[in-house]
Amino acid sequence: MSIVLRIAREEWRSLLRNRVAVMGTILLTILMLIASLTAWEHQRNAGEERARYQAQSNHEFESQPDRHPHRVAHYGHFLFRPLNALAAFDPGINAYTGNTLFLEAHRQNSANFGDVRQSSLLLRFGQLTPAFVLQVLAPLLLIFVGFAGVSRERESGTLRVLLTQGVSSQQLVIGKLVALLGFSGLILLPAVVGLCLLSVSGASAWAMTLLLIGGYTLWLLLWSLAVIFISSLCQRGRDSLLALMAIWVLVVILLPRWVPDMANAAIALPTRFENEISVQREYLALGDAHNPDDPKFAEFRDKVLKQYGVTRIEDLPVNFKGLVGMEGERKSSELFSHYSTRAFDLQAQQNSFVDGFSLLSPLFALKRLSMTASGTDLQNFRRFLEQGEQYRYNLVQGLNKLQAESLTYADDTNRQKENRIARSNWQAFPEFKFTPGSSIETLKGALASIGVLTLWIMVLGVLSWLQSRRLGRAIR
Amino acid sequence: MSWLSHELRLLQRSHLSIIALILLFLLSGLAVWSGLKEIKHQHDTIARLAPLQEQDLAAVAKTYSNAANAGYPAYYTFYSTWDTPSDAAFLSIGIRDSAPYVLRVRALGLQAQLYEGEIFNPELALPGRFDFAFVLIYLTPLFIIALMHDMISGEQQSGRLRLLVSLPEGRLVWLRRTSLRFVLVLMCLVIPVLLGATITSTNLSSLSIIMAVISSYVAFWFGLTLLITTQGWRSVTNATALMSVWVLLTLVLPSLANVALLRAVPVHQGVDLMLAQRQAVHGAWEVPREETMQRFFVHHPEWSGTAPLPQDFHWKWYFAFHQLGDESVAPLANAYRAGLLERQAWTNRLGWLLPGVGAQAILHRVADTDLLAQLSYQDQIEAFHRQIREFYYAYLFEDRPFGAADFAKQPVFQPSAHNIAPPEHTFFMLILSWMVFLIGVWRLKTVRLDS
Repeated sequence: MSIVLRIAREEWRSLLRNRVAVMGTILLTILMLIASLTAWEHQRNAGEERARYQAQSNHEFESQPDRHPHRVAHYGHFLFRPLNALAAFDPGINAYTGNTLFLEAHRQNSANFGDVRQSSLLLRFGQLTPAFVLQVLAPLLLIFVGFAGVSRERESGTLRVLLTQGVSSQQLVIGKLVALLGFSGLILLPAVVGLCLLSVSGASAWAMTLLLIGGYTLWLLLWSLAVIFISSLCQRGRDSLLALMAIWVLVVILLPRWVPDMANAAIALPTRFENEISVQREYLALGDAHNPDDPKFAEFRDKVLKQYGVTRIEDLPVNFKGLVGMEGERKSSELFSHYSTRAFDLQAQQNSFVDGFSLLSPLFALKRLSMTASGTDLQNFRRFLEQGEQYRYNLVQGLNKLQAESLTYADDTNRQKENRIARSNWQAFPEFKFTPGSSIETLKGALASIGVLTLWIMVLGVLSWLQSRRLGRAIR
Repeated sequence: MSWLSHELRLLQRSHLSIIALILLFLLSGLAVWSGLKEIKHQHDTIARLAPLQEQDLAAVAKTYSNAANAGYPAYYTFYSTWDTPSDAAFLSIGIRDSAPYVLRVRALGLQAQLYEGEIFNPELALPGRFDFAFVLIYLTPLFIIALMHDMISGEQQSGRLRLLVSLPEGRLVWLRRTSLRFVLVLMCLVIPVLLGATITSTNLSSLSIIMAVISSYVAFWFGLTLLITTQGWRSVTNATALMSVWVLLTLVLPSLANVALLRAVPVHQGVDLMLAQRQAVHGAWEVPREETMQRFFVHHPEWSGTAPLPQDFHWKWYFAFHQLGDESVAPLANAYRAGLLERQAWTNRLGWLLPGVGAQAILHRVADTDLLAQLSYQDQIEAFHRQIREFYYAYLFEDRPFGAADFAKQPVFQPSAHNIAPPEHTFFMLILSWMVFLIGVWRLKTVRLDS
C-alpha cells in the first residue's frame, strides 16, 4: 500500500511541475467560478422576474371587473414556469423551452418566449454552466494531465527499473490512478462546495445534491480509469494522447450531437398545425359548446332534462348554457390531452432512443442523471405543462359552473342583457402552484444512469487491471 | 510535379493522416446527407399539411355557406402560412429545429398568435444539430490539428529535421506539405457540399459565399496550427496547446460571450406584450363601444362613414377591438424585435474576432435559418394577416352577407423569396482568416534546427 501511495505522491510532484496541469487547473477553476456565479445570478434574476410576472398576472386576474363568467374564461390566465434552484448548476433544457403559458377556454396553447427563439445562434455553441465545465472540459483536462502517466515510464525506461526494484506493475498503475483521482477530486471540489451551499441555504434538497455529487464523481472516476487504461496500453505518450483525444471528441462532442439527430429522424413528431386541425375537426364533430341548440348536444339535453324531471330547458333550476359549456369543455379537453399525451410520449420515446446509446457514450447517462436531479429535463417540463392544463381545466369548469348556477337561462340567452356576476366569485379560485416530482421519483429516474456509469467503471476497471498485469509480463 | 506524388506517398504511409482524412470525408458526407434528409422532411411536412388545411377550410365553408354576415367565417377560419426552406438550408438547419415553419393564424389579434411555438423535443435540440455547419466549425479544426501537429516536430523527433533544414529548398518542403494537407481537407469538405448543392440546385451566389467561408475557416486553422507548430515544441506539447486553443475558440469564448450578450441586451418585452395585449383586448368589453369605434377610425378612416353600431352585438366592433389590441402593443412589439436584432448584431460583431462564430453566422444567414429568418417569416405572417383583416372588413363594415362564393375569394398566403445577402462582417472574417494563414506561412521561414 505504501508503495502505491509513494508512486501517487511522485506523480503529484510531477503534476505540480507540469505547466499544463497547473495552468489547466487554474483556468478550469476560474471558468467554474464564472460559470457558477453567472448561472446562479441568471437563475435568481429569471426566477424573480417570473415570480413578479406571476404575481402581476394573478393580480390582473383577480382585479377584473364584474363580468360574464365566460368572458373571464376567455380572458384567461398566464402561468410562468417557476425555476428550480439547481437549474443554476445544470440549466438543462431551460433555455429551449417556453416559460409563459396562456390558459383560456376551448384552447390549449404552447408555452412561449423561450430563450432559444429570442437569442442569436450563439446560444447553440452551448452555455457556460458548472455542468458544462464538468461534463466537457474536466475530462479533457484529465487527459492532458494523465495521458503520459504510465506511457512516460515506459518510454523513458523507468518502468523496467521500477519493476526490477520489486514494484509490481499493478501497484504502479494503481498509484497513477490514485494520483489522477486525487486530481479529479480537486477539479470537482468547487462544484461540491457550491452544491452544498445551495443545500445548506435550503434552496435545494440534500438528496438531489448528493445525487449530483455522486453522479459527477462516477463520471470523473470513469475518465480517470479510461486515461490510465489507454496510457498503459500505448507504447508512446503521443499515441496515448491522440487516442484519448479521439475518444473524447467521439464521446463528448460527436455522439451527443449525432445520436439526437438520429432520434429525430427515426421518430418523427407531429406539427402543432396538424394536431390543431385534428382537434378542431373532432371538436366540431362534438358540437358547438357556445350554442345550446346544437343538435349534437340533444342527447345531453335529454339526459339533463330527465335528471331534473322537467320537460323544457327553461324549467331547469340551473342555466343550461353553463351545463353545455361544461360538457363541451370536458370533451374538448379530453381531445387536447389525447393529442398532447401522444406528442409527449413520442418525445419520451426519442429520449429513450438516445439513452440507449449511453453504452456507446456514458455522457448520455450522466446528462440524464444531471438534468433529472436538477429538475431541468423534459419530464419536469412535461409535469409543468400537465399541471398547467389541469389548472386550466379546473379554472374554466369553475367558471362554467358559475355560469350554470349564478345566471338564469332566460337572461343568458337574451342578447340585450350583459349578465355580469360579481368578481368575488373567481377571486376565491386558488392560485397555481407547481409541484415538482418527489425525491423518490427522481432517484428512481436516475437509477438507470447510475447503473450505466457503474457498468462503464467496472468494465474499465477490469480492463485496466488486466492491462496492468500484461504490462508487467511484457516488460520482463 | 514529382514532389506531389512523393508527398502523397509519404502521407499515405502515415496511417493517422489517412484515417483522419477518410473520417472527415465520411463525416462531412454524412452531415450533408442528414441535412438533405431533414430539409426533405420539412418540405414533405409543408406539402402534407396543404390538403389538411383545404379540408379544414372546406368544413368551415360548409358550416357557414349562407352566413348573414362575415363574423362567424372570420372567427372560425384559420389560414395556413409556411416558411419553405431555402436551397442552402440543408447545410445549416439553425433555428428551424425549434421555431415553427408552419403556423395557422386567424383574423383575431395577431400578437396573441404570432409567438406560438412548435412541438419539438428540447432535449434533442439542446446539443445542437449534426449538420454541415457543425462538421465545419467544430470537427474540421480537430482534423487539421491531427494532421498538422507533428508535421515539423515529427521530423525533428525522427532526426530528419537537420537534413530538411539544410536543403536549399528547405522551406518549400513545409509549404508543399501544408498546401497538400490544405487541399485534401478542403476536398473532403467541398465535395459533399457540391453534391448536396447539385441535388437541391443551390443558387450560385449562395454557393460561392459558402465556398469562401469554408476555405477561409480552414485557412484560419491551418494558419493557427502553423503558428504553434513553428514554435519548436514537442508533438505532445503542440497537440495539447492546439487542443486548448480549440476548446477556447469553439467552446469557452462563444459561451462566455453568450452569457455577456444575454445580460447586456435583456429581452423581456415579449411577455409584457402578451400581458398588455390581453388587457387591451378584453378591456374593450368595459368601454363604451362607440368610443372603441372612434379609436379604430383614427387609423382606419376608410370605414368611418359606414353605418353606426346597432343596439346589440356586432362583429365589426369585435374585430375592431382586436385590431386596436394589436395597435396598442405595437411599441412593445417593436422594442422586442429591436432587442432581438441587437442580439444578432452583437453576435455578428463577435464574428470579427471569433472565426467560428463568424462562419456560423454567415452560413446560417446564407441558409436563411437564423434569427433574422424567423423575424422575416413573422413579417410575412403579419403582412398576410393584414390582408385577411382587410378582406373581412369589407364585408363587416358594409354589412354584406358572406356566402360560399366569398370563401373562394379569400386571400392565400404567398411566401416571399429568401433574402440571403451575407452580413456585413463576412468580409472581415474572410480577411482575418487569410491573414492568420499568411502569418503562419511566413513563420515557416523561422523553422530552424535549434528551435
